[in-house]
Amino acid sequence: MKSYQYSKSQELFKRAAKVIPCGIYGHFSPAPLVPATSYPFYTARSAGARFWDVDGNEFIDYMCAYGPMILGYNHPLVDQAAANQIKLSNCTTGAPSVMVELAEFMVDLIPAADWVFFAKNGADVTNYSTMIARDATGRKKIVMIKGAYHGASSWMQSPGHHGTIEEDSENIIRVPWNDVSAFEKAIEENPGNIAGFIATPYHVPVFADNDLPNEGYWNKIESLCRKNGIVLIVDDIRHGFRMDMGGSNEYYGFKPDLICFCKALANGYPISALVGNQALKDVTARVFYTGSYWFQAEPMAAALETLKELKQLDGPKKILCIGKKLMDGLVNLAKTYGYNLKVTGAPSMPYLRITNDESLMLHQDWCAECTRRGAYFTSHHNWFVSTAHTDEDIQQTLTIADDAFHSIKKQYGDRF
Amino acid sequence: MGHELIKARLNLYAVMKNLENLVQFDPEMAALSKTWNVSIQFSVLFGPKAFIEFKNGRCRVEKGKLPRPTIRLFFISSAHLNWMMDGKGFPIPLKGFTKISFLNGDFQKLTKKLEYYLKPTDDLLRDEKFAELNTRFTLNTAAHAIPEIGNLDRVGKHAVSHIQTGDILMKILPDGPAVTLRVQNGIITPLSEETDRPMACLYMKNIRVANDFLNAKLDAFTAIASGDVMIKGQTPMLDSMGLILDRIPAYLG
Repeated sequence: MKSYQYSKSQELFKRAAKVIPCGIYGHFSPAPLVPATSYPFYTARSAGARFWDVDGNEFIDYMCAYGPMILGYNHPLVDQAAANQIKLSNCTTGAPSVMVELAEFMVDLIPAADWVFFAKNGADVTNYSTMIARDATGRKKIVMIKGAYHGASSWMQSPGHHGTIEEDSENIIRVPWNDVSAFEKAIEENPGNIAGFIATPYHVPVFADNDLPNEGYWNKIESLCRKNGIVLIVDDIRHGFRMDMGGSNEYYGFKPDLICFCKALANGYPISALVGNQALKDVTARVFYTGSYWFQAEPMAAALETLKELKQLDGPKKILCIGKKLMDGLVNLAKTYGYNLKVTGAPSMPYLRITNDESLMLHQDWCAECTRRGAYFTSHHNWFVSTAHTDEDIQQTLTIADDAFHSIKKQYGDRF
Repeated sequence: MGHELIKARLNLYAVMKNLENLVQFDPEMAALSKTWNVSIQFSVLFGPKAFIEFKNGRCRVEKGKLPRPTIRLFFISSAHLNWMMDGKGFPIPLKGFTKISFLNGDFQKLTKKLEYYLKPTDDLLRDEKFAELNTRFTLNTAAHAIPEIGNLDRVGKHAVSHIQTGDILMKILPDGPAVTLRVQNGIITPLSEETDRPMACLYMKNIRVANDFLNAKLDAFTAIASGDVMIKGQTPMLDSMGLILDRIPAYLG
């Protein structure tokens, strides 16, 4: 099977590194891709579940732009809705009328939502949710999960990271995931001072297995929040609309006060949303927060069309099925080579790891070999599945994975 | 822990450690010290202790006390030791008064040469041999500074708390030098040999890349993307180690 080369990606990166800090920054930085040189850095075009890099290599994409793509790239209905809106208006003086339509649709769609606030990125709304929690309670502390990611604002980063100061974490309490007693202890040790509890529906650390909530975990957390007047915030930015159209809390049977959405909300158009209950509506109204492009109409039209299409397709159910089909195929294939491919998290956004080598090097090499053959797999982060991934895509992916397993077996022999 | 104390530990345990390599890899210094049979004890009041031993043409620098050193040097504080290392102060000799001339003579030649390698100019770095030794010493200094900063510095301690147990390999390709940092339950131990079971690896493409990388003249993210620096394995271990490495200039910069 042909193995891809990336000379144009590398050429472009050299140019980029001269004028852009580290060439490509943030979560798109090639640094966590191992080895980085086995991955394409720049996209030339995309369609459906595939993208083509600047070297002309074609990939079946299992990162889906790290989550925003859920219906497939260049989705005709979403793109048409966005284009129609652009013809009418986009960034203007005055809020767009489509904003009201979208908010009404989301309030109808999401049981926990009595209102919606729009922004651009995930961190906009995770950050805002903590401001609302503090204003509503008159308290300072926010409880979050150790190793959780809620964006790149300084309070969300672990102490010691560049650009952060010790005081950024002064009012943050980190507790282990799935540990109700740790949350109870935090409440005991900070009586009347915890404003909010923020967590993702299940734990999605990088470089580590994803961790589903223990039976009854969320109900206990919800109950502790209610009892102690703590605002319960779900960061559904990554998981949102990949488990349940009404929010991932519906999947787990609990009701948060605030839910943060972004990524899949508009199939690639820039918009995020914070939804909340009636009790926090007036508080939210008085907590000032805004951005230059937060009233842009085009992403709102795209979001409305995306949600309608996802609802009509029963998107979450569909991608859970597609993901399961792919995972079953890969796990069985791995077995034939003597490898244990462990899958954690929901099948619609699974994290994979070959457990035979705890250093992850074997797994990294397999993901890199798959990518160089046209199935874009990362080794450090959960993958994403879209409604655009077809049976044909899965079959081709399994063929690629088989060849990549063969390659690493040849390289490592019976060492693992 | 105080800045001066951490700096003193870095000076004794990381910077002076390079004397071992200097005697091994610099022909002039190897010839100079070939016949030495002398040991020097460094003791800081309420602070670190280390000794240097020259014997059979080899140099050994270790933490702790030697039972019967030839020369015993005392420092009233960590700051006192750091002044000496910065060339601004003198130790208090407690033993080996007859060897003062050695300290001020041949031994000083050795330390001056070490300083020459550790404080390079751009001109000197153009010389391949010089660059190779400077890189080797810098890698060695980093390897021995990481445990000190990781175990004592506030930011370092936080970073270490996130490092899982296992070996971290740092190697300059194709044939080394290499160092291993063994992490066991939050304690880091440097090893001068290459581990055969690394949990995480950081490979530098060649001496030039390694020199730039270790001296923070190269952005790590760019270097990794271009393949000049390659990482493998449990790379969060390397992320945490990077945060510790970034603290070195706060003490030795």
